[in-house]
Amino acid sequence: MDFRSVLPPPPRYPAAGTYNAGLGANNVIPMIETNNVLTTPSGSEYQFLVGEGLYALKEDLHLATPPPHPSEAPVVNPNPLATTPQPATAGTKVSLLALDVRPLPPAFYRVASRSGGVQQSIQEHPDESKSSTTEGRGSSSDAGGAVRTINPSDLPTLSPSAPAFGEGNALLAPPNTKDANKRRKPKNNMTKSNSSFISRVIVHETLGKKLQERSPDGLFAFANINRAFQWIDLSSPTKVEYLTKILFTKAHCLCHDVNRLTKSLSHIDVIMGFSTGEIIWWDPISQRYTRLNKNGIINGTPVSEIRWIPGSEHLFMAAHMDGSLVVYDKEKEDAIFSAEADGGQPQQSPQQQHSPTNDETNGTNGAVNHSSHIQVTKSVHSQNQKTNPVAVWKLSNHRINAFAFSPDNRHLAVVSEDGTLRIIDYLKEQLLDLFYSYYGGLTCVCWSPDGKYVLTGGQDDLLSIWCPSESALIARCQGHHSWVTSVAFDPWRCDDKNYRFGSVGEDCRICLWDFSVGMLHRPKAASVRQRASISSRLTSLQRENTGTSRLRSDSNLSAGEVDADGVFPHPVSSRASTPILPPVLSKTVDADPLCWLEFTQDAIITSCKSGHVRTWNRPSDTSPQVEEQKTEA
Amino acid sequence: MAGFFQKIRVGSGSSKADNNATPKNKKEEPVPELTPLDKALQNAGPLREDGSDKFFGLENALYYSESFRENVVNYRLLTPSDTPNGKPRKVNVTIRPPAPPNGNAAAPAKGVKGITGSQALKARQALNGAGQLPPIGQAVRPEDRPDSPEYKKKQAMIKGPVLELAQENPDAYGMQECTFTGLKDIFTALIESNDRTGVLSPQRFLDIFKRDNEMFRNSMHQDAHEFYGLVLNDVIANVEANAKALQEREESRNRDGLAQSVEKALGASSPVMKGLSASGSRMPGTGWVHDIFEGVLTSETKCLTCETASQRDETFLDLSIDLEEHSSVTSCLRKFSAEEMLCERNKFHCDHCGGLQEAEKRMKIKKLPKVLALHLKRFKYTEDYSRLQKLFHRVVYPYHLRMFNTTDDAEDPDRMYELYAVVVHIGGNAYHGHYVSVIKTKDRGWLLFDDEMVEPVDKHFVRNFFGDKPGMACAYVLFYQEVTFEKVREEMDAEGLEEVRLASQKAGIALGAEPNGTTNKPPPLSRLNTQPVLHVEDHGALPTLSHVKSAPDITNGPTSTSPDQISSPTDIQAVPATSPTTSAVTPGAKIMDGIPPVPPIPDVPPTPISPSKSKEDKVRDKKELKAQEKARKAAEKEQAKIAEKERAEKLAKAREANRAEHELLQKTIQESKQMAADDEKRRKKEAAEARDRSPVTFLSRGSKSMSRKSFGFLGKGDRDKEKEKQKEADKEKERLARSDKEGNEQQNGGSTTSHSPIRTTITERTETSSSSMPAKSDEEAHEPRGLKGRFSFGLKRKKSGKFLS
Repeated sequence: MDFRSVLPPPPRYPAAGTYNAGLGANNVIPMIETNNVLTTPSGSEYQFLVGEGLYALKEDLHLATPPPHPSEAPVVNPNPLATTPQPATAGTKVSLLALDVRPLPPAFYRVASRSGGVQQSIQEHPDESKSSTTEGRGSSSDAGGAVRTINPSDLPTLSPSAPAFGEGNALLAPPNTKDANKRRKPKNNMTKSNSSFISRVIVHETLGKKLQERSPDGLFAFANINRAFQWIDLSSPTKVEYLTKILFTKAHCLCHDVNRLTKSLSHIDVIMGFSTGEIIWWDPISQRYTRLNKNGIINGTPVSEIRWIPGSEHLFMAAHMDGSLVVYDKEKEDAIFSAEADGGQPQQSPQQQHSPTNDETNGTNGAVNHSSHIQVTKSVHSQNQKTNPVAVWKLSNHRINAFAFSPDNRHLAVVSEDGTLRIIDYLKEQLLDLFYSYYGGLTCVCWSPDGKYVLTGGQDDLLSIWCPSESALIARCQGHHSWVTSVAFDPWRCDDKNYRFGSVGEDCRICLWDFSVGMLHRPKAASVRQRASISSRLTSLQRENTGTSRLRSDSNLSAGEVDADGVFPHPVSSRASTPILPPVLSKTVDADPLCWLEFTQDAIITSCKSGHVRTWNRPSDTSPQVEEQKTEA
Repeated sequence: MAGFFQKIRVGSGSSKADNNATPKNKKEEPVPELTPLDKALQNAGPLREDGSDKFFGLENALYYSESFRENVVNYRLLTPSDTPNGKPRKVNVTIRPPAPPNGNAAAPAKGVKGITGSQALKARQALNGAGQLPPIGQAVRPEDRPDSPEYKKKQAMIKGPVLELAQENPDAYGMQECTFTGLKDIFTALIESNDRTGVLSPQRFLDIFKRDNEMFRNSMHQDAHEFYGLVLNDVIANVEANAKALQEREESRNRDGLAQSVEKALGASSPVMKGLSASGSRMPGTGWVHDIFEGVLTSETKCLTCETASQRDETFLDLSIDLEEHSSVTSCLRKFSAEEMLCERNKFHCDHCGGLQEAEKRMKIKKLPKVLALHLKRFKYTEDYSRLQKLFHRVVYPYHLRMFNTTDDAEDPDRMYELYAVVVHIGGNAYHGHYVSVIKTKDRGWLLFDDEMVEPVDKHFVRNFFGDKPGMACAYVLFYQEVTFEKVREEMDAEGLEEVRLASQKAGIALGAEPNGTTNKPPPLSRLNTQPVLHVEDHGALPTLSHVKSAPDITNGPTSTSPDQISSPTDIQAVPATSPTTSAVTPGAKIMDGIPPVPPIPDVPPTPISPSKSKEDKVRDKKELKAQEKARKAAEKEQAKIAEKERAEKLAKAREANRAEHELLQKTIQESKQMAADDEKRRKKEAAEARDRSPVTFLSRGSKSMSRKSFGFLGKGDRDKEKEKQKEADKEKERLARSDKEGNEQQNGGSTTSHSPIRTTITERTETSSSSMPAKSDEEAHEPRGLKGRFSFGLKRKKSGKFLS
């Protein structure tokens, strides 16, 4: 028992290695290159039971964490108190892509979820979709993405009700309309690149053959792990072998997205955002790439989220960690442009059309009231559109953690580290609404498939359901044991009244939730009818709003402020006055904190910090019944 | 409550506190503040040094360095304690001038180190001039490495001044020498000190403390949390004993702006603190400690036999919460309030039906304290090794917090807390280790207190101690303080620029060597984030174009020549307050470390690169063009304005129409909400009644099932319900099993109060904490026994039974 005499006092600041060995597998960075590992563990701990049946783990694909770059000695400071800032990193996230014509989820429209979802498929006729939600399954499934994919060059023919981003600015018109079928490729060859940014590119030997032989309905996955980025064919029996693996020298890919509009067998547009602030546009088929925001010339802070703007072939939006949203054009990268964009940006603002705002913001730069409007540093309507950035909006000075485009392609929900949820009309570049978390930062966001609700997850361990059209917090969902890292709706289990969504968190848990408007206040039998009528009225109201001139729907609250382009932030609702929603399922599904989930037609896919991508098959036997029930309803 | 013994190390040196850590004190400080960063920056220059160990050995008078940092944590809050006594009388402080860096000879004798300021300066200059970082890989002693904490500490000692509190002046307070006076002396000394930085050695305080607390009278490492508890209790006891004397003085000095909290305490002996006031010994003027730290817990116990529910209020000064792997503080707190079955050997003595019965118990917070101290139980007794083990669970803690586990009648249940201090334990087990703390100061941001070293850190640094990072540093005690939402928002806005800077830094780190691709320099020698806030403000006008980019720009484009960018390093130099930054470690220089051929000269703009000049010309041309365009644009602007106006009008009209509809809608919603609320109330009542009626329903009732009810019809089939029942039954079993185990453990532990695992391992003390503590201070004239007992260690007992063998 006398440890004091037996044990010599350890050093106060433990030396590297020795003590850390046992600490969390995710800290161990291998020193040699390893391969991906595919396992199919089974047993009760690898399945979970929900109302509709049993979800079981199909497979666990463990992406290999690459060793540190040889020339970059790993910055390991044994002193736990070292104050040297560490580069931003992110756990594994996956962008899924199916090349084929895919029936849309029964519950109509797919929201922009973490990987970008099937956004494009929705955007063509958002309003029709709304009005036809109840009987719109058939019509919706053959519209949208499918059509787009086959003939992707019809970008300008967007639905009149949802104008394309930047419409009206002729300078933004696609420059290559002449040869519509020939897609412009990025200009650098990745495999032959001698860029110091990219360390190594490993292309599968038989990539061509593999691509030809694969079934067209299989899923591609793009995933980041540490400094590597992998392209994987999830439908292949040999999915352990990546199709392509890119190793970057030092930068970590933090986020990525695939353009669903331009995907084809011969062309895929992938964008990646990096911890250096840089962005790479990459076509995996031709192995060509282009670097944007080179050396952070436009914005020197890490990219925390990146997404293609729905319906656009070349515009995408990146959230930088300084709290700005920047729209880039994949083809407008150029050293000269960048240089000018950097130096000339402040000068551009007076030329913009929203000049009053700009003058104001320029004058009081840094002391802007970020809670009443967004600061349009460069408008999409700017006359200077020869170079990137296409548009720059400064939301706040705090890191933006995630954003999502609404299914009707008009709105943007942005969550940030300071605990705010902003609803932005990105076509008009206006802040529509601002909500606060219960406490702590908000980490993830998504829209319900019908665009009525916004779901956020945050550091208060809660999911919050917001209704932007009502400007209200609908419910808080309590069930996670730690911070929530990703949320997504399951469009296959949503209909116009009931919603299924899932979330994952730092607690290694997946939670599934069922939500329907009527149940929130659990009305008596008498009031059920009334509630129903309210919700339907809500819908109609919202429909009207979006359909016509998209007013601020919370005009009651901020009527006086609209003229001043301001927004009243909503006070935080107290716990007592907010309904709490319990999960229908909460289950630990990984050994490491999870950071992403996505619903596909036949599975739930999760990924974790250390690179495990797990596919959970939906209950197979009951699914027909579910279908029946749904059609009955 | 786990104790761990902090072994005295030769190098452990004296604790140091910084005035800047105490915003309240600042009012008393006539001089505008310098930053403690100065020191860190100034000394950042690398050097080789002799005789350093001796130097430290000298300082070794000081032992529980952790302990003082603990005080610093509570520092600001305890500050009011200074004021009751009015004009603080001069404390007997020996201010030691900085010791010579190679003071081998001079060292041994305390009073002797008569190094002059100029000497010290010279030494420092020598250090700064010493130049480059010693090549890595070469064997350097830790204290020679400029980024090592040892080095910094040494520098702190060199720089001084070292305040040494050798004697006290308790008479000045009309009190006997006690923990409180010791503490007070320290604070007073700090306030009176003319230096903003320095080292204070709490020698005397510790002597007293050790005198009063036997268990600290050895050289073992001690537990910070325990220490915190003891200090608070001591202070309470001391203060109460002197209450009367104090009271008079307080009243005469109430106008003192700093005495606000005291005033408050005077006015209201909070009615909630039944437990305390019951003791009767509480006097006006002693409430301030309670007022700040004390909350009230309600434990609801329901006898499962007779269905009688009993409530008992307990006060607490902190909450000890059990940890789970991969959880958050929020979740752990929730678990703290989860229901618990009292059965088997742990049965509940029911007064109603007489005798031990099975019961259900849950703890909720009835009154939220102003300062919420959360003790994370990182030390767990494992039977396998029959010793305390440190849990390296990853437990995340947010910067802000609200409590979920309040009672229904709690006042302001949505109270917001902000994290303002983290006590970090570094070490692999419970028996050794080192404490540091990270504290948020009012206008100096977050500071890291590590023995003599005080170092500014950025906000994100606070998140390094979740427990999963290498280095075995884990948050051990978290201090949250009450805050208003508005203030939080305000602060968020203010923090913004700092955030931007940090973000660009991160990118810079990742970008680092990239432009040349050749650099594999060691990590930057300076702490970039030690930059004073001032520096950030310089960047205010150009938030997105941080200086970090300047490195890549040199190779890649002309942008680095942008005057705005260059100005930033120069600005810093122009500001005298940050003069130390002029040493070779300005942020700009740091970035440039990435480019070997360019010497790190921050104040010379990297203009003379020829291609960039031509680009500048281009830019100029462009500017001219733009000027021409401007006129045209102005006209356009006018038009746009008109259009805008029209649009606004249209908007207004449409809005009007919309509003009517909306109002209707809102009304209906309101109605329905009201209805729902009523409904909810009714249901609750019903549920309560039902519970009272049938023991079965009560059993299956859980917080979850309560809320589940409200969504019960949510498309769940009967099958689900069945499953749920099953689940609940399982849970029940689990619970039974658990409490069974607990019962056993409790039994083995000897008495119900011997929850604290540490006791079983410290040979000298096997008594239980709550009873033993008072015993230690028997020598005190006043009656500390009851008072100390109030520090409710009992709370931590809640689940710790599990850990007992």
